[in-house]
Amino acid sequence: MIKARHNIVLLSATAWLLLVAVGCGPTPSASFRPNMVEATKQRLTVDQERQVATVLLAMFGTPDDPVALPETGLDESKLRLAAGPVRSDIVGRKNGLYREHCAHCHGVTGDALGPTAAFLNPYPRDYRPGVFKFKSTERADKPTHADLVRVLHNGIAGTSMPSFALLPEIQVDALAEYVKYLTIRGETELALMRAFFELDDDAGGKLPETREFLVYETLTPAAEKWRAAADAEIQVPEMPSDIDLVASIAKGKELFYGDKANCVKCHGVTGLGDGQANDYDDWNKAIVEVEKEVKSGAAKAREASTAGMSPDELAEHRAQLAWLEKFHGVLDGDALAPRTIPPRNLRHGIYRGGRRPLDLYYRIHAGINGAPMPAAKGTVPPEDIWHIVNYVRSLPYELDGELGADRPMVARDRF
Amino acid sequence: MIHRSLNVPHLVACLLVGATAVLLCFGALVTTYDAAMAVPDWPATYGHNMFLFPFAEWFWGPWDLFLEHGHRLLGALVGLITLALAAVVWLQSPKEASLKSTVRGLVVAAVLLVVLQGLLGGARVLLDDKTVAKVHACTGPLFFAVAVAIAALTGRNGTSAATGPSIESRVSLGLLGAAYVQLVAGAQLRHLDVATVAPATFRWLVAIHVFGAVAVMALAFAAAVCCRGQASPGARRWSLAIAGLVCCQVALGIGAWFVSWGIPSGWLPAAWMPSEPLAARSAGGAAVITGHVVLGMLILGVAVALAIATGLFAGRGTRVALQPRPPRDGRPERAYA
Repeated sequence: MIKARHNIVLLSATAWLLLVAVGCGPTPSASFRPNMVEATKQRLTVDQERQVATVLLAMFGTPDDPVALPETGLDESKLRLAAGPVRSDIVGRKNGLYREHCAHCHGVTGDALGPTAAFLNPYPRDYRPGVFKFKSTERADKPTHADLVRVLHNGIAGTSMPSFALLPEIQVDALAEYVKYLTIRGETELALMRAFFELDDDAGGKLPETREFLVYETLTPAAEKWRAAADAEIQVPEMPSDIDLVASIAKGKELFYGDKANCVKCHGVTGLGDGQANDYDDWNKAIVEVEKEVKSGAAKAREASTAGMSPDELAEHRAQLAWLEKFHGVLDGDALAPRTIPPRNLRHGIYRGGRRPLDLYYRIHAGINGAPMPAAKGTVPPEDIWHIVNYVRSLPYELDGELGADRPMVARDRF
Repeated sequence: MIHRSLNVPHLVACLLVGATAVLLCFGALVTTYDAAMAVPDWPATYGHNMFLFPFAEWFWGPWDLFLEHGHRLLGALVGLITLALAAVVWLQSPKEASLKSTVRGLVVAAVLLVVLQGLLGGARVLLDDKTVAKVHACTGPLFFAVAVAIAALTGRNGTSAATGPSIESRVSLGLLGAAYVQLVAGAQLRHLDVATVAPATFRWLVAIHVFGAVAVMALAFAAAVCCRGQASPGARRWSLAIAGLVCCQVALGIGAWFVSWGIPSGWLPAAWMPSEPLAARSAGGAAVITGHVVLGMLILGVAVALAIATGLFAGRGTRVALQPRPPRDGRPERAYA
């Protein structure tokens, strides 16, 4: 029995040690994570980073208590529904929707650094640069509110982004509004960090504390783009109702392999996405470029000889080394390992931006913002874009002969 | 004619195990649906006495409210059953002195744990604190394990003839510990505060949970092999059950990841990838995730039964009193006075 008691005591002690180990310390309050990659890239001092954080806190509040200045055009009641920890309010309405549904991947700041992000392929969207791929507006424009709602409602096929069609409409609407809030906040943060570079010497490294600078020069431009998006929808010519589908597909095929649209360059002669596949999207490209800068800087610093340096040069050299070391740490903790973006395999019939012909029209017309996919606008007439849409939609069902064997001659075959 | 006396402590203990299992299912659903804060006050429910909250408002109300308030009511029921169990164990103790003290010790532990668990549940709501939620999620399975142990020890055939530590008892003990550690790791993942956690912490937790799954699986199969030839029929049965359950659990774990975060592209051939996005908050997804948690608790419960069957409470050189005994004049000896 002594042995038995010994076992019980051992098990109980282990169990409680585990409990203590997991439960030590209260949960810290939520805060937005600063954009350290940009801050380090701009060589901001700790004091300057603090200035940016203070301004952002005043203009946007915290993840638990968001603020929307009138200039943002955001509906604060919707933000309050989406922000904060998950809980029901006094009338039984659920709050904290962003943290419940989105933050695990997109991060509480919308920086795509949520706990799960590193496991996902493709990575979740980083909202802070304000770039969105799947929308009904021109390439450089913001998506409309309806575009965001559509992505939330439908999800993104072929990725980890689920469909939120089972959520009540009011919740999806609140989430779309919160995404805009995080984007405007992120873009304002970038503008503030970049503003230090343009400061006069007599500013003493301090940002102007005027409303004109803080609101009208940094926040308003970011917010204005969202307001303008509603009027920036692509005007799509209707697909002719009496279109001969076989002829349209044949015409689309010609364009697909032709010099004007040149889809074949990336999507490959087979349409399997086996063309040029070593490119990055904008988010990964930014990290790749920074990594290159750090690597080349480190190589130069290693090669530099400190023997003949003046005290000023030596101080500068040391500052450069410190900056490189800091950047190295920032890239480890605040950025995910860059990945190339493979062109879509068009024979799977999985279209991330939506499977409607209209969605494909938007993608071909405006390209995909943030991705290497270029816009056909200006090179392919609008009515011809419908032919490409019809051809692309036929690819998953094209069963005759070897893949791409019956293709028209492409540019590179001619040489 | 075989005369069987009513083993009231065992019946109440089994009732406790059943009620706790339902309670744990509700608790798991509360976490799956993030419904812990569906009722902002405690011990009252929206200002009402918990037991007097309008039935229709609860039963036909929002799903979150149904889960959270149901969890509280079931918690209260489990507390009452635990107190009833304590009373009957004290009134109707096992004859054998060492077993009597073990069962009584476990019952005291159960009472303390159920009170603590209730307070933790209340603190989780009042403080709205994820750390408390984690501790709450770890204490629940611990209470369940104690309840299963009481049910096993008060049963007529529940204990082992083992006369000392054997290889199967050691493996079973290791399996029990590993199953609990897995539940602790799982609770950390489920109650992650996404607003404050460092991504590296999540990666570590996932790694621990995955390696823990491998360890539990290895120990489960080792237990099945060890118990195959030498152990009691009960131990053989439990060890086979746990091996099967662990296989199901691994499949459910993969499914839980899939329904939560999808399959990263590139991990599977493209042709196998689903062409439609998953639906967040679907009933099927919630069933898989909750099923993974509940099956984890079931594995813990079976691990307790296996550990007892292989001699967890059997001392060196002693024989446990509740072992089936040779009939005396055609009547089995009564275990309880």
